Amino acid sequence: MSLLTVSNLSKRYRRGGNTVIAVDDISFHIEPGETLALAGPSGSGKSTIARLVLRLIEPDAGGIEFEGDDFLTLHGAALRARRARLQMVFQDPLAAFNPRATVARVLDDPLRIHGIASRAERPRRIAALLERVGLAADLAPRAIHEISGGQRQRVAIARAIATKPSLIVLDEAVSALDVSVRGQILDLLLDLQRQERIAYLFISHDLGVVRALAHRVILLDAGRIAESGDARAVIDAPQSAIGKALVASAPKLKRTTQDAS
Amino acid sequence: MSPLRRFLRTPEAIAGAILLGALVAMALIAPLLFPGDPQAIAGPALLPPFQDWSLPLGTDRLGRDVLAELFHGARTSIAVGLAAAVAALAIGSVVGTLAGFAGGLVDEVLMRITDAFQTVPSFLLALAFVSVVGPSLGIVVIAIALGTWTGPARIARAEVLSIRERDYVASARAIGMHPLEIAFREVLPNALPPVLAMSSVIVAAAILTEAALSFLGLGDPNRVTWGGMIAEGRAVLRTAPFLSIVPGIALVLTVLGVYLAGEGIVETTAVKRGLS
Repeated sequence: MSLLTVSNLSKRYRRGGNTVIAVDDISFHIEPGETLALAGPSGSGKSTIARLVLRLIEPDAGGIEFEGDDFLTLHGAALRARRARLQMVFQDPLAAFNPRATVARVLDDPLRIHGIASRAERPRRIAALLERVGLAADLAPRAIHEISGGQRQRVAIARAIATKPSLIVLDEAVSALDVSVRGQILDLLLDLQRQERIAYLFISHDLGVVRALAHRVILLDAGRIAESGDARAVIDAPQSAIGKALVASAPKLKRTTQDAS
Repeated sequence: MSPLRRFLRTPEAIAGAILLGALVAMALIAPLLFPGDPQAIAGPALLPPFQDWSLPLGTDRLGRDVLAELFHGARTSIAVGLAAAVAALAIGSVVGTLAGFAGGLVDEVLMRITDAFQTVPSFLLALAFVSVVGPSLGIVVIAIALGTWTGPARIARAEVLSIRERDYVASARAIGMHPLEIAFREVLPNALPPVLAMSSVIVAAAILTEAALSFLGLGDPNRVTWGGMIAEGRAVLRTAPFLSIVPGIALVLTVLGVYLAGEGIVETTAVKRGLS
Protein backbone atom coordinates (compact mmCIF):
# COMPACT_ATOMS: atom_id res chain seq x y z
CA MET A 1 0.00 0.00 0.00
CA SER A 2 1.31 3.42 -0.90
CA LEU A 3 2.02 5.99 1.79
CA LEU A 4 0.42 8.79 -0.20
CA THR A 5 -1.84 8.39 -3.19
CA VAL A 6 -2.97 11.48 -5.08
CA SER A 7 -5.61 10.89 -7.72
CA ASN A 8 -6.94 13.28 -10.37
CA LEU A 9 -6.15 16.36 -8.30
CA SER A 10 -7.23 19.70 -9.77
CA LYS A 11 -7.06 23.29 -8.54
CA ARG A 12 -8.15 26.48 -10.29
CA TYR A 13 -7.60 30.07 -9.20
CA ARG A 14 -9.95 32.82 -10.26
CA ARG A 15 -8.20 36.17 -10.72
CA GLY A 16 -10.60 38.88 -11.83
CA GLY A 17 -12.45 37.50 -14.85
CA ASN A 18 -9.98 34.81 -15.92
CA THR A 19 -9.41 31.37 -14.48
CA VAL A 20 -5.90 30.01 -14.04
CA ILE A 21 -5.64 26.23 -13.92
CA ALA A 22 -2.78 25.68 -11.47
CA VAL A 23 -3.06 21.92 -11.13
CA ASP A 24 -4.83 19.90 -13.81
CA ASP A 25 -5.80 16.26 -13.18
CA ILE A 26 -2.57 15.16 -11.45
CA SER A 27 -2.12 11.64 -10.07
CA PHE A 28 0.90 10.14 -8.31
CA HIS A 29 1.87 8.00 -5.33
CA ILE A 30 4.75 7.87 -2.84
CA GLU A 31 5.98 4.71 -1.14
CA PRO A 32 7.32 4.68 2.46
CA GLY A 33 10.93 5.84 2.63
CA GLU A 34 10.93 7.03 -0.98
CA THR A 35 11.78 10.42 -2.46
CA LEU A 36 9.54 11.65 -5.24
CA ALA A 37 10.62 14.89 -6.88
CA LEU A 38 8.28 17.37 -8.53
CA ALA A 39 10.23 19.50 -10.97
CA GLY A 40 9.20 22.08 -13.50
CA PRO A 41 9.50 25.73 -14.44
CA SER A 42 7.97 28.55 -12.40
CA GLY A 43 4.19 28.50 -12.51
CA SER A 44 3.99 24.80 -13.36
CA GLY A 45 1.98 24.08 -10.19
CA LYS A 46 4.70 22.54 -8.00
CA SER A 47 4.03 24.60 -4.89
CA THR A 48 0.27 24.40 -5.35
CA ILE A 49 0.52 20.60 -5.26
CA ALA A 50 2.62 20.83 -2.07
CA ARG A 51 0.00 23.00 -0.39
CA LEU A 52 -2.84 20.76 -1.60
CA VAL A 53 -1.14 17.65 -0.20
CA LEU A 54 -0.70 19.43 3.15
CA ARG A 55 -4.34 20.66 3.14
CA LEU A 56 -3.15 24.25 3.41
CA ILE A 57 -5.48 24.88 0.46
CA GLU A 58 -8.44 22.77 -0.67
CA PRO A 59 -8.56 21.09 -4.12
CA ASP A 60 -11.44 21.62 -6.55
CA ALA A 61 -11.47 17.95 -7.51
CA GLY A 62 -9.57 14.74 -6.86
CA GLY A 63 -8.59 12.60 -3.91
CA ILE A 64 -5.69 12.35 -1.46
CA GLU A 65 -5.17 9.14 0.48
CA PHE A 66 -2.56 9.26 3.23
CA GLU A 67 -1.55 6.25 5.35
CA GLY A 68 -4.60 4.38 4.09
CA ASP A 69 -7.16 7.06 5.05
CA ASP A 70 -9.01 9.58 2.92
CA PHE A 71 -7.07 12.71 3.94
CA LEU A 72 -9.61 15.11 2.42
CA THR A 73 -12.47 14.07 4.73
CA LEU A 74 -10.50 14.91 7.90
CA HIS A 75 -11.50 18.14 9.65
CA GLY A 76 -10.82 20.09 12.85
CA ALA A 77 -9.09 18.19 15.64
CA ALA A 78 -8.77 14.96 13.62
CA LEU A 79 -6.99 16.82 10.82
CA ARG A 80 -4.71 18.67 13.26
CA ALA A 81 -3.76 15.39 14.95
CA ARG A 82 -3.00 13.71 11.61
CA ARG A 83 -0.78 16.64 10.56
CA ALA A 84 1.88 15.22 12.89
CA ARG A 85 2.51 12.50 10.28
CA LEU A 86 2.86 14.89 7.35
CA GLN A 87 5.27 17.78 7.71
CA MET A 88 6.67 20.54 5.53
CA VAL A 89 9.90 22.49 5.10
CA PHE A 90 9.61 25.81 3.29
CA GLN A 91 11.92 27.51 0.83
CA ASP A 92 12.75 30.64 2.83
CA PRO A 93 13.64 29.56 6.37
CA LEU A 94 13.33 33.15 7.61
CA ALA A 95 9.76 33.62 6.34
CA ALA A 96 8.73 30.20 7.67
CA PHE A 97 9.20 31.20 11.33
CA ASN A 98 7.43 33.78 13.44
CA PRO A 99 9.89 36.72 13.49
CA ARG A 100 9.53 36.92 17.28
CA ALA A 101 10.25 33.24 17.92
CA THR A 102 13.29 31.64 19.48
CA VAL A 103 14.73 28.31 18.35
CA ALA A 104 13.41 26.66 21.52
CA ARG A 105 9.87 27.94 21.01
CA VAL A 106 9.80 26.80 17.38
CA LEU A 107 10.73 23.26 18.44
CA ASP A 108 8.56 23.34 21.56
CA ASP A 109 5.32 23.96 19.60
CA PRO A 110 5.03 20.57 17.82
CA LEU A 111 6.07 18.67 20.98
CA ARG A 112 3.44 20.50 23.04
CA ILE A 113 0.62 20.47 20.46
CA HIS A 114 0.84 16.74 19.80
CA GLY A 115 1.54 15.86 23.44
CA ILE A 116 4.81 14.17 22.53
CA ALA A 117 6.71 15.25 25.63
CA SER A 118 5.73 16.66 29.02
CA ARG A 119 6.69 20.21 29.90
CA ALA A 120 9.59 19.06 32.06
CA GLU A 121 10.86 16.70 29.41
CA ARG A 122 10.69 19.14 26.48
CA PRO A 123 14.03 20.99 26.94
CA ARG A 124 15.82 17.63 26.71
CA ARG A 125 13.84 16.66 23.61
CA ILE A 126 14.62 20.03 22.00
CA ALA A 127 18.34 19.54 22.68
CA ALA A 128 18.16 16.05 21.17
CA LEU A 129 16.37 17.38 18.05
CA LEU A 130 19.01 20.09 17.60
CA GLU A 131 21.76 17.51 17.88
CA ARG A 132 19.97 15.23 15.43
CA VAL A 133 20.16 17.93 12.74
CA GLY A 134 23.77 18.77 13.53
CA LEU A 135 23.28 21.89 15.66
CA ALA A 136 24.60 22.70 19.12
CA ALA A 137 22.02 22.38 21.90
CA ASP A 138 22.97 25.81 23.28
CA LEU A 139 21.39 27.38 20.17
CA ALA A 140 17.95 26.90 21.78
CA PRO A 141 17.58 30.30 23.51
CA ARG A 142 18.69 32.24 20.40
CA ALA A 143 16.19 34.24 18.34
CA ILE A 144 15.41 32.89 14.87
CA HIS A 145 16.74 36.02 13.16
CA GLU A 146 20.07 35.73 14.99
CA ILE A 147 21.17 32.44 13.42
CA SER A 148 22.47 31.82 9.89
CA GLY A 149 20.35 30.69 6.94
CA GLY A 150 21.80 27.18 6.99
CA GLN A 151 21.21 26.86 10.74
CA ARG A 152 17.65 28.11 10.24
CA GLN A 153 16.93 25.46 7.63
CA ARG A 154 18.32 22.82 10.00
CA VAL A 155 15.94 24.13 12.68
CA ALA A 156 13.10 23.88 10.14
CA ILE A 157 14.03 20.24 9.51
CA ALA A 158 14.25 19.60 13.27
CA ARG A 159 10.75 21.04 13.63
CA ALA A 160 9.49 18.82 10.81
CA ILE A 161 10.93 15.62 12.32
CA ALA A 162 9.82 16.51 15.89
CA THR A 163 6.48 14.73 15.41
CA LYS A 164 8.08 11.66 13.75
CA PRO A 165 6.32 12.08 10.39
CA SER A 166 6.20 9.47 7.66
CA LEU A 167 6.26 12.10 4.89
CA ILE A 168 7.93 15.50 4.64
CA VAL A 169 7.10 17.91 1.84
CA LEU A 170 10.22 19.89 0.95
CA ASP A 171 9.12 22.94 -1.03
CA GLU A 172 12.32 24.27 -2.65
CA ALA A 173 13.89 23.55 0.74
CA VAL A 174 17.50 23.98 -0.44
CA SER A 175 17.00 26.55 -3.21
CA ALA A 176 17.64 29.61 -1.03
CA LEU A 177 20.85 28.23 0.49
CA ASP A 178 24.34 28.78 -0.84
CA VAL A 179 26.06 25.85 -2.51
CA SER A 180 28.24 24.57 0.35
CA VAL A 181 25.36 24.69 2.87
CA ARG A 182 23.06 23.07 0.31
CA GLY A 183 25.29 20.00 0.11
CA GLN A 184 25.30 19.63 3.91
CA ILE A 185 21.50 19.93 4.12
CA LEU A 186 21.05 17.36 1.34
CA ASP A 187 23.36 14.97 3.24
CA LEU A 188 21.29 15.53 6.39
CA LEU A 189 18.06 14.77 4.49
CA LEU A 190 19.52 11.58 3.00
CA ASP A 191 20.77 10.50 6.43
CA LEU A 192 17.35 11.11 8.05
CA GLN A 193 15.67 9.13 5.29
CA ARG A 194 18.02 6.17 5.81
CA GLN A 195 17.60 6.20 9.59
CA GLU A 196 13.89 6.97 10.01
CA ARG A 197 12.48 5.78 6.66
CA ILE A 198 10.86 9.16 6.04
CA ALA A 199 9.44 9.68 2.55
CA TYR A 200 10.03 13.02 0.83
CA LEU A 201 7.95 14.91 -1.67
CA PHE A 202 10.82 17.02 -2.98
CA ILE A 203 9.88 20.10 -4.94
CA SER A 204 12.64 21.80 -6.88
CA HIS A 205 13.52 23.45 -10.15
CA ASP A 206 17.16 22.32 -9.78
CA LEU A 207 17.50 19.08 -11.71
CA GLY A 208 21.03 18.48 -10.38
CA VAL A 209 19.73 18.31 -6.83
CA VAL A 210 16.74 16.23 -7.94
CA ARG A 211 19.03 13.71 -9.62
CA ALA A 212 21.18 13.41 -6.48
CA LEU A 213 18.32 13.02 -3.99
CA ALA A 214 15.21 11.62 -5.68
CA HIS A 215 14.29 8.07 -6.58
CA ARG A 216 11.57 9.09 -9.01
CA VAL A 217 10.74 12.40 -10.66
CA ILE A 218 7.64 13.98 -12.14
CA LEU A 219 8.21 16.84 -14.59
CA LEU A 220 5.35 19.33 -14.57
CA ASP A 221 4.35 21.82 -17.21
CA ALA A 222 1.41 24.21 -16.82
CA GLY A 223 -0.21 22.08 -14.13
CA ARG A 224 0.04 18.78 -16.03
CA ILE A 225 2.45 15.87 -15.81
CA ALA A 226 4.79 16.12 -18.81
CA GLU A 227 6.99 13.16 -17.97
CA SER A 228 7.66 10.83 -15.05
CA GLY A 229 9.87 7.93 -14.13
CA ASP A 230 13.19 6.98 -12.55
CA ALA A 231 14.98 10.23 -11.64
CA ARG A 232 18.31 9.44 -13.29
CA ALA A 233 16.74 7.94 -16.41
CA VAL A 234 14.43 10.92 -16.94
CA ILE A 235 17.10 13.57 -16.35
CA ASP A 236 19.78 11.81 -18.38
CA ALA A 237 17.45 11.26 -21.37
CA PRO A 238 14.35 13.46 -21.15
CA GLN A 239 11.64 12.63 -23.69
CA SER A 240 9.26 15.58 -23.31
CA ALA A 241 9.91 19.07 -24.68
CA ILE A 242 9.80 20.63 -21.22
CA GLY A 243 12.17 17.97 -19.89
CA LYS A 244 14.70 18.71 -22.63
CA ALA A 245 14.37 22.44 -22.00
CA LEU A 246 14.88 22.02 -18.24
CA VAL A 247 17.96 19.82 -18.70
CA ALA A 248 19.40 22.19 -21.30
CA SER A 249 18.92 25.16 -18.96
CA ALA A 250 20.93 23.53 -16.15
CA PRO A 251 24.52 24.23 -17.27
CA LYS A 252 26.23 22.84 -14.18
CA LEU A 253 24.29 19.59 -14.25
CA LYS A 254 27.27 17.43 -15.27
CA ARG A 255 29.51 18.65 -12.47
CA THR A 256 26.77 18.41 -9.84
CA THR A 257 26.05 14.82 -10.79
CA GLN A 258 29.73 13.95 -10.65
CA ASP A 259 29.98 15.43 -7.15
CA ALA A 260 26.97 13.49 -6.02
CA SER A 261 28.18 10.14 -7.28
CA MET B 1 22.24 54.68 19.34
CA SER B 2 19.95 53.62 22.15
CA PRO B 3 16.19 53.98 21.51
CA LEU B 4 15.92 56.56 24.32
CA ARG B 5 18.59 58.81 22.86
CA ARG B 6 17.11 58.47 19.39
CA PHE B 7 13.72 59.33 20.87
CA LEU B 8 15.12 62.46 22.55
CA ARG B 9 16.74 63.73 19.35
CA THR B 10 13.64 65.50 18.05
CA PRO B 11 12.51 68.69 19.82
CA GLU B 12 8.82 67.67 19.83
CA ALA B 13 9.71 64.43 21.59
CA ILE B 14 11.63 66.35 24.28
CA ALA B 15 8.72 68.77 24.76
CA GLY B 16 6.26 65.90 24.92
CA ALA B 17 8.42 63.96 27.37
CA ILE B 18 8.75 67.00 29.67
CA LEU B 19 4.99 67.69 29.63
CA LEU B 20 4.11 64.04 30.24
CA GLY B 21 6.80 63.74 32.89
CA ALA B 22 5.35 66.74 34.72
CA LEU B 23 1.85 65.27 34.50
CA VAL B 24 2.94 61.89 35.84
CA ALA B 25 4.92 63.61 38.61
CA MET B 26 1.82 65.63 39.56
CA ALA B 27 -0.27 62.49 39.70
CA LEU B 28 2.31 60.63 41.77
CA ILE B 29 3.02 63.32 44.37
CA ALA B 30 -0.59 64.51 44.67
CA PRO B 31 -1.37 62.38 47.78
CA LEU B 32 1.96 63.37 49.39
CA LEU B 33 1.72 67.08 48.68
CA PHE B 34 -2.00 67.32 49.30
CA PRO B 35 -2.97 64.57 51.73
CA GLY B 36 -6.61 64.30 52.62
CA ASP B 37 -9.66 65.09 50.55
CA PRO B 38 -8.94 67.59 47.76
CA GLN B 39 -12.64 68.42 47.79
CA ALA B 40 -12.49 69.59 51.44
CA ILE B 41 -12.87 73.30 52.15
CA ALA B 42 -9.44 74.86 52.63
CA GLY B 43 -10.05 78.60 52.89
CA PRO B 44 -12.31 81.52 51.96
CA ALA B 45 -14.33 81.11 48.78
CA LEU B 46 -13.18 82.59 45.45
CA LEU B 47 -9.72 83.55 46.61
CA PRO B 48 -7.80 84.71 43.46
CA PRO B 49 -4.44 83.07 42.59
CA PHE B 50 -1.11 84.34 43.96
CA GLN B 51 -2.70 86.12 46.95
CA ASP B 52 -2.23 83.63 49.75
CA TRP B 53 0.89 81.45 49.35
CA SER B 54 -0.63 78.60 51.34
CA LEU B 55 -3.23 78.47 48.56
CA PRO B 56 -1.12 79.49 45.50
CA LEU B 57 -3.79 79.06 42.84
CA GLY B 58 -6.61 80.37 45.03
CA THR B 59 -9.90 78.68 45.88
CA ASP B 60 -13.14 77.97 44.06
CA ARG B 61 -16.73 78.91 44.88
CA LEU B 62 -16.82 76.56 47.88
CA GLY B 63 -13.35 77.47 49.14
CA ARG B 64 -11.58 74.34 47.87
CA ASP B 65 -7.84 74.51 47.08
CA VAL B 66 -7.52 74.79 43.25
CA LEU B 67 -3.91 73.55 43.22
CA ALA B 68 -4.83 70.42 45.19
CA GLU B 69 -7.75 69.80 42.86
CA LEU B 70 -5.45 70.26 39.85
CA PHE B 71 -2.96 67.70 41.16
CA HIS B 72 -5.64 65.19 42.05
CA GLY B 73 -7.35 65.83 38.70
CA ALA B 74 -4.15 64.75 36.94
CA ARG B 75 -4.59 61.33 38.55
CA THR B 76 -8.09 60.98 37.10
CA SER B 77 -7.01 62.15 33.66
CA ILE B 78 -4.09 59.71 33.51
CA ALA B 79 -6.12 56.83 34.91
CA VAL B 80 -9.03 57.33 32.52
CA GLY B 81 -6.83 58.11 29.53
CA LEU B 82 -4.63 55.05 29.94
CA ALA B 83 -7.38 52.64 30.98
CA ALA B 84 -9.67 53.69 28.10
CA ALA B 85 -6.83 53.46 25.58
CA VAL B 86 -5.75 50.02 26.83
CA ALA B 87 -9.37 48.81 26.71
CA ALA B 88 -9.93 50.25 23.21
CA LEU B 89 -6.68 48.77 21.88
CA ALA B 90 -7.41 45.39 23.47
CA ILE B 91 -10.98 45.17 22.13
CA GLY B 92 -9.94 46.55 18.76
CA SER B 93 -7.02 44.22 18.19
CA VAL B 94 -8.97 41.13 19.29
CA VAL B 95 -11.95 41.97 17.05
CA GLY B 96 -9.69 42.96 14.14
CA THR B 97 -7.58 39.80 14.48
CA LEU B 98 -10.62 37.51 14.62
CA ALA B 99 -12.24 39.25 11.63
CA GLY B 100 -9.08 39.26 9.52
CA PHE B 101 -7.96 35.76 10.41
CA ALA B 102 -11.31 33.95 10.24
CA GLY B 103 -12.56 35.72 7.11
CA GLY B 104 -15.92 34.85 5.55
CA LEU B 105 -19.04 35.22 7.66
CA VAL B 106 -17.20 36.00 10.91
CA ASP B 107 -15.36 38.83 9.15
CA GLU B 108 -18.61 40.19 7.68
CA VAL B 109 -20.47 40.14 11.01
CA LEU B 110 -17.62 41.66 13.04
CA MET B 111 -16.90 44.40 10.50
CA ARG B 112 -20.61 45.36 10.19
CA ILE B 113 -20.68 45.69 14.00
CA THR B 114 -17.56 47.85 13.73
CA ASP B 115 -19.30 49.97 11.06
CA ALA B 116 -22.32 50.39 13.32
CA PHE B 117 -20.15 51.65 16.19
CA GLN B 118 -18.19 53.90 13.86
CA THR B 119 -21.28 55.61 12.41
CA VAL B 120 -22.44 56.74 15.87
CA PRO B 121 -20.37 59.72 17.04
CA SER B 122 -18.17 58.37 19.80
CA PHE B 123 -18.97 61.22 22.21
CA LEU B 124 -22.75 60.71 21.85
CA LEU B 125 -22.22 57.00 22.46
CA ALA B 126 -20.24 57.70 25.63
CA LEU B 127 -22.84 60.25 26.74
CA ALA B 128 -25.72 57.83 26.21
CA PHE B 129 -23.90 54.97 27.90
CA VAL B 130 -22.99 56.97 31.02
CA SER B 131 -26.48 58.48 31.28
CA VAL B 132 -28.05 55.02 31.22
CA VAL B 133 -25.60 53.11 33.43
CA GLY B 134 -24.62 55.91 35.77
CA PRO B 135 -21.37 57.79 36.31
CA SER B 136 -18.42 56.06 37.91
CA LEU B 137 -14.78 55.89 36.86
CA GLY B 138 -15.06 52.34 35.45
CA ILE B 139 -18.21 53.15 33.49
CA VAL B 140 -16.59 56.29 32.04
CA VAL B 141 -13.62 54.19 30.90
CA ILE B 142 -15.92 51.63 29.22
CA ALA B 143 -17.99 54.40 27.65
CA ILE B 144 -14.91 56.00 26.08
CA ALA B 145 -13.50 52.64 24.95
CA LEU B 146 -16.84 51.81 23.27
CA GLY B 147 -16.42 54.74 20.92
CA THR B 148 -12.71 54.35 20.14
CA TRP B 149 -12.05 50.63 19.59
CA THR B 150 -13.16 50.73 15.93
CA GLY B 151 -9.99 52.47 14.66
CA PRO B 152 -7.61 49.88 16.15
CA ALA B 153 -9.94 47.10 14.93
CA ARG B 154 -9.73 48.25 11.31
CA ILE B 155 -5.97 48.66 11.39
CA ALA B 156 -5.45 45.30 13.10
CA ARG B 157 -7.68 43.60 10.51
CA ALA B 158 -5.79 45.12 7.57
CA GLU B 159 -2.49 44.04 9.10
CA VAL B 160 -3.76 40.51 9.85
CA LEU B 161 -5.02 40.12 6.27
CA SER B 162 -1.45 40.52 5.02
CA ILE B 163 0.19 38.50 7.81
CA ARG B 164 -2.09 35.48 7.47
CA GLU B 165 -0.70 34.78 3.97
CA ARG B 166 2.87 34.54 5.28
CA ASP B 167 4.73 31.24 5.34
CA TYR B 168 5.04 31.11 9.11
CA VAL B 169 1.25 31.01 9.46
CA ALA B 170 1.09 28.15 6.92
CA SER B 171 3.89 26.49 8.85
CA ALA B 172 1.96 26.83 12.13
CA ARG B 173 -1.06 25.19 10.45
CA ALA B 174 1.16 22.44 9.06
CA ILE B 175 2.34 21.46 12.53
CA GLY B 176 -1.30 21.24 13.64
CA MET B 177 -1.62 24.38 15.76
CA HIS B 178 -5.18 25.34 16.75
CA PRO B 179 -6.52 28.27 14.66
CA LEU B 180 -7.17 30.38 17.78
CA GLU B 181 -3.61 29.86 18.96
CA ILE B 182 -2.32 30.81 15.50
CA ALA B 183 -4.46 33.96 15.54
CA PHE B 184 -3.47 35.16 19.01
CA ARG B 185 0.06 33.82 19.40
CA GLU B 186 1.50 33.93 15.88
CA VAL B 187 -0.47 36.64 14.08
CA LEU B 188 -1.64 39.19 16.66
CA PRO B 189 1.78 40.07 18.19
CA ASN B 190 3.12 40.80 14.72
CA ALA B 191 0.08 42.91 13.79
CA LEU B 192 0.37 45.13 16.89
CA PRO B 193 3.03 47.78 16.01
CA PRO B 194 0.84 49.88 13.66
CA VAL B 195 -2.08 49.51 16.09
CA LEU B 196 0.05 50.73 19.00
CA ALA B 197 1.10 53.73 16.91
CA MET B 198 -2.50 54.94 17.36
CA SER B 199 -2.32 54.83 21.14
CA SER B 200 -1.22 58.43 21.66
CA VAL B 201 -4.17 59.72 19.63
CA ILE B 202 -6.52 57.48 21.58
CA VAL B 203 -5.11 58.50 24.98
CA ALA B 204 -5.44 62.17 24.06
CA ALA B 205 -9.00 61.69 22.78
CA ALA B 206 -9.91 59.72 25.91
CA ILE B 207 -8.63 62.48 28.21
CA LEU B 208 -10.65 65.06 26.27
CA THR B 209 -13.78 62.91 26.24
CA GLU B 210 -13.50 62.31 29.98
CA ALA B 211 -13.17 66.07 30.53
CA ALA B 212 -16.19 66.72 28.31
CA LEU B 213 -18.29 64.12 30.17
CA SER B 214 -17.28 65.64 33.52
CA PHE B 215 -18.05 69.10 32.19
CA LEU B 216 -21.58 67.88 31.47
CA GLY B 217 -21.80 66.48 34.98
CA LEU B 218 -21.44 62.85 33.90
CA GLY B 219 -18.04 62.23 35.49
CA ASP B 220 -17.45 60.25 38.65
CA PRO B 221 -18.83 62.58 41.37
CA ASN B 222 -16.40 61.21 43.97
CA ARG B 223 -13.29 62.21 42.03
CA VAL B 224 -11.83 65.57 41.10
CA THR B 225 -11.62 65.96 37.34
CA TRP B 226 -10.39 68.84 35.24
CA GLY B 227 -13.60 68.79 33.21
CA GLY B 228 -15.59 69.02 36.40
CA MET B 229 -13.45 71.96 37.59
CA ILE B 230 -14.11 73.82 34.34
CA ALA B 231 -17.84 73.19 34.69
CA GLU B 232 -17.69 74.38 38.27
CA GLY B 233 -15.89 77.59 37.23
CA ARG B 234 -18.29 78.30 34.37
CA ALA B 235 -20.91 79.76 36.74
CA VAL B 236 -18.45 82.46 37.82
CA LEU B 237 -16.69 82.82 34.46
CA ARG B 238 -16.90 86.67 34.51
CA THR B 239 -15.82 87.25 38.10
CA ALA B 240 -13.32 84.42 38.57
CA PRO B 241 -12.18 83.25 35.10
CA PHE B 242 -9.05 81.60 36.56
CA LEU B 243 -11.24 78.78 37.88
CA SER B 244 -11.89 77.67 34.29
CA ILE B 245 -8.59 78.81 32.77
CA VAL B 246 -6.25 76.89 35.14
CA PRO B 247 -7.71 73.40 34.50
CA GLY B 248 -8.19 74.35 30.84
CA ILE B 249 -4.46 75.05 30.46
CA ALA B 250 -3.64 71.80 32.26
CA LEU B 251 -5.88 69.92 29.82
CA VAL B 252 -4.35 71.59 26.75
CA LEU B 253 -0.78 70.90 27.94
CA THR B 254 -1.58 67.28 28.75
CA VAL B 255 -3.16 66.54 25.36
CA LEU B 256 -0.29 68.39 23.65
CA GLY B 257 2.27 66.39 25.64
CA VAL B 258 0.61 63.07 24.76
CA TYR B 259 0.49 63.98 21.06
CA LEU B 260 4.10 65.18 20.93
CA ALA B 261 5.46 62.17 22.81
CA GLY B 262 3.42 59.87 20.55
CA GLU B 263 4.78 61.66 17.49
CA GLY B 264 8.30 61.21 18.86
CA ILE B 265 7.77 57.49 19.37
CA VAL B 266 6.41 57.05 15.83
CA GLU B 267 9.43 58.99 14.54
CA THR B 268 11.83 56.80 16.55
CA THR B 269 10.35 53.53 15.30
CA ALA B 270 10.23 54.86 11.72
CA VAL B 271 13.96 55.63 11.86
CA LYS B 272 14.60 52.19 13.28
CA ARG B 273 12.70 50.53 10.46
CA GLY B 274 14.49 52.61 7.87
CA LEU B 275 17.89 51.54 9.20
CA SER B 276 17.23 47.83 9.44
